Amino acid sequence: MGGISNEGENDVAPRHAAPMVEEVTDFEVLEIALRELAIEKGLFTAEDHRRYTEYFEQLGPAPGARFVAKAWSDPDFKRLALEDAVTACHEVGIDWLKPTGFGTPSDFTALHILENTPTLHHVICCSLCSCYPRPLLGNSPEWYRTPNYRRRLVRWPRQVLAEFGLYLTEDVRIRVEDSNSKHRFMVLPVRPDGTQGWNEEQLTQIVTRDCLIGVALPKPGRTADVERPVHAAIHPAQNH
Amino acid sequence: MPVDQDVTRIRVRLLEEMIARGQVWSRMAGKYGVENPSPPWKSSLDGVCDALDREGTTLPLLARRDEEDRLTGEVYPALPFPENQLVALAHSLIARKVIGEGELAEHIAEVRARLEADGGTPPSS
Repeated sequence: MGGISNEGENDVAPRHAAPMVEEVTDFEVLEIALRELAIEKGLFTAEDHRRYTEYFEQLGPAPGARFVAKAWSDPDFKRLALEDAVTACHEVGIDWLKPTGFGTPSDFTALHILENTPTLHHVICCSLCSCYPRPLLGNSPEWYRTPNYRRRLVRWPRQVLAEFGLYLTEDVRIRVEDSNSKHRFMVLPVRPDGTQGWNEEQLTQIVTRDCLIGVALPKPGRTADVERPVHAAIHPAQNH
Repeated sequence: MPVDQDVTRIRVRLLEEMIARGQVWSRMAGKYGVENPSPPWKSSLDGVCDALDREGTTLPLLARRDEEDRLTGEVYPALPFPENQLVALAHSLIARKVIGEGELAEHIAEVRARLEADGGTPPSS
């Protein structure tokens, strides 16, 4: 079989990234072969793929962090964020209606900002698949996609948060918000002590992805998430 | 397009043989001293998944994700992420007969030959 033709595209689909290792590896080849056959069969076009891939490559949690830092610093913005999060996102450069500039139906959604208080903590999941506020937070981490996290969080949130190293006292209520195809959520943590007088740039540094999901709390000096290995559940949730 | 049997009961030898060769990113990155935590093809795979989700009839999003969960948990439990996401996607498309296993094997050989002709080296182990 020759290269894949697709309405004016080059005959051969691009490799899409520098190989990084000096060896042609099986999984790299599989990804290319699968993609080219899908294009050949008309499942999507090479142009569709190029635009989605470029969209993914520019995603990250920075807009979400800036959003929270701004809400901590500006009471009017915080009010807008809680009342009309989609409009508020324009101020950090995110247009939820056209996040890619070409439309991504799976991201067309109602966005809700979940405000934590000293006695109420929010954490998000998607019990059905892996819906996630991608325009604000980028791609979801591996663990967020796992049935282990999704099924256990909704049943035993306090225990699961403890597994992330987040120990909440019994006087703090925990509310789990379940994302779906129409509704996405992001957590607005409580501004931590020790940040008085900080500007938005300083505040942004301590608002990590895990704080915005709700499995960690921001604190001065903590500027990166701990990458945790994913384990299969020893006693997985049954009858889900 | 529905699949007419439990996807976890379908064996795809092409994928099993590939997995057995063990070229997962963590090992390859270690072999070449690369620190990037994700393989270079990950964002392209994300683009494939979103393009399929958007198309929405061949492999709808919920079916794709449900089968990914089951396949990665039951059929390919030892395979790490994102290799397991890629292999599950291939498995789902083969189970639906959207792509034939033989057809995929043939195209894999062609892609490999093309990349190696472009300067990539064959596997050393």
